[in-house]
Amino acid sequence: MDATLLTQYALAGLVIGAIYCLMAVGITFIYSVMRMINWAMGEFYMIGGYAQYLLITDWLGPERWYVALPLAIAGVGVLGMVVQRVLLRPMFAGGIERLDEYATIVTISLTVLFRNLAVVIFGPYQFSPRDYAPPVQLGPLPVNGSRFVAFLGAVALLGLFAWVVRRTWFGLAIRSVAQNRVGALSAGINLSRIDMLAFGIGVALAGAAGALLAPVFLVYPQSGALSTVKGFEIIVIGGLGSLTGSIVGGLLLGLVESLGSVLISPAFRDVYGFGLLVLILALRPTGLWGERAREA
Amino acid sequence: MDDPIAPAAGGVTASEPRAPWAAGDAVRRSMLIAAGLGAAALLPLVLGTYPIHVLTVACYYVILASSWNLIAGYTGLFSLAHHAFAGIGAYASALLALRAGAPVPAAIACGGLCACAAGYGLGAVTLRMRALYLALATWAFAESVRIVVSMEYGVTRGDLGLAVPLLLPTSSPRPYYELFLACAAATVGGLALLLRSRIGYRLRAIRDDETVARAAGVNTVRWKRFVFGMSSGIAGLAGALYGHYIGLLSPAAMQFDEMALIIIMVILGGQRTLVGPVIGAVVVEVASEALRAYGQLRMVVFALLVIAIMRVYPPGLAGLGRMLWTRLRHGLAAGDTTGHRARQPE
Repeated sequence: MDATLLTQYALAGLVIGAIYCLMAVGITFIYSVMRMINWAMGEFYMIGGYAQYLLITDWLGPERWYVALPLAIAGVGVLGMVVQRVLLRPMFAGGIERLDEYATIVTISLTVLFRNLAVVIFGPYQFSPRDYAPPVQLGPLPVNGSRFVAFLGAVALLGLFAWVVRRTWFGLAIRSVAQNRVGALSAGINLSRIDMLAFGIGVALAGAAGALLAPVFLVYPQSGALSTVKGFEIIVIGGLGSLTGSIVGGLLLGLVESLGSVLISPAFRDVYGFGLLVLILALRPTGLWGERAREA
Repeated sequence: MDDPIAPAAGGVTASEPRAPWAAGDAVRRSMLIAAGLGAAALLPLVLGTYPIHVLTVACYYVILASSWNLIAGYTGLFSLAHHAFAGIGAYASALLALRAGAPVPAAIACGGLCACAAGYGLGAVTLRMRALYLALATWAFAESVRIVVSMEYGVTRGDLGLAVPLLLPTSSPRPYYELFLACAAATVGGLALLLRSRIGYRLRAIRDDETVARAAGVNTVRWKRFVFGMSSGIAGLAGALYGHYIGLLSPAAMQFDEMALIIIMVILGGQRTLVGPVIGAVVVEVASEALRAYGQLRMVVFALLVIAIMRVYPPGLAGLGRMLWTRLRHGLAAGDTTGHRARQPE
């Protein structure tokens, strides 16, 4: 096994890992603010992919993909806010007995809803927009252009997200809600608005992953299933509620999958993540960065 | 009138007047149930082969939905691995029959035992996890089982599907229907007995508040493992039976969609009621066959219905039926018909 090939695979792993990070950060962000898991994350990923596909093949043309991307991401974000407003806000209005159970059932129903709606509207076919960027030479390694764009986009979005959460007043408000809802409320923070925006942003990250990967992977109704799996694996590996954990976990998962498929066997690509998950749960049951006890 | 099935401490109040199948007179209730079962058993006389097949599948889902209702609804352990246990039972039984040449009924029993053991193990591993972590862990378990089954194609033939010997030497669905109906009735009846026993109270106590339950002397560790083993064993038996009826197994039946279907059935019918999963499973299965022409739109409608039920009317179809029956009996003015909506304060 020569070093160039290994570097190439490691790099490919990091590229995919950055995209996984988007999903995982979205899941963990929604969890930290609303204390719920959004099981429909992969479906928002799928919707992002469809939006990007429709925008660049039907309306804007492939050369204006950079206009399509923010539009697709914003569209998914708005959809997420509507979902939160209509279905999830009542969770906090009282009257619902078990919040986690309600959120789980509603979001699992949403996966069924969105998946089958995609089949009804677009049919069970697989779509793929044309590659819009030329291959890039990264040192000695050629990288598929769309993949490279996806990587850069993911890094830029994660950076933007980190900046908003760490450096702005809005981010401060979100972090305070994540720490203590009642405390934030008494400090004059509008909880239901923060919840709605947080859900929209979290879901938009998944939509961004879907839109960025539209030309790399195929777009089809079940395309979100696998990315939900990856997202949750990362969450368990990195620790629920930790942003650092999701980013490190995402990169780690991308690396392990990529190197595992070249060093061991590509057929078991999707099993390596579970192997890593079991290993980390056995050694460190709260995940790498999980700070709380395992009682959600 | 003080019916032990009414979850006194659960989300549903016990004070409301009850439907005939739950109302006072036990003799009349058992006569009603017997009449319903008899009518169901006589259905093959009037229906064709295909509708009977559909009803057989509906019975399979009645078993799955009821046993999931036991663990998730009554005990509050929101497991997302129920479909995987059905798959474990099915594959264990099929492989025993195929590779070890075991007689099919014995293989089915072993399949159920395997699923029961796996469920007991999973219950033991996830004992200390609550709510979200439990859901994540059981979901990860189910996904791993599915991936292993589809990867180990040397043993399970993977996505090609495993041809399974049939249970009965007949191609007519009628004897199968009678068998599945009996099994579904036995499951629901058994759960009814279990829930009105002391064990049932312990399980509901765990759901309501685990710490308080422990303080009151409930051995939560033992009963959580028990309920995991029990409901998984039921699911495994049902899966094994189903495998030897359909004659073909594939890992596709262990996809998460299947779990979502079980959830849809239970929520639609009414969580934490005995009749709820029965109604839900039959309605969803029969409606999706009757509306087959509409393709995936059916699932869209079911998902919307479940969301609407969660959002505005958690008692589901069972609660709706009960309310309508009460109104019919007492007239529109009398009776606290909105009683189900009273919930515990947070």
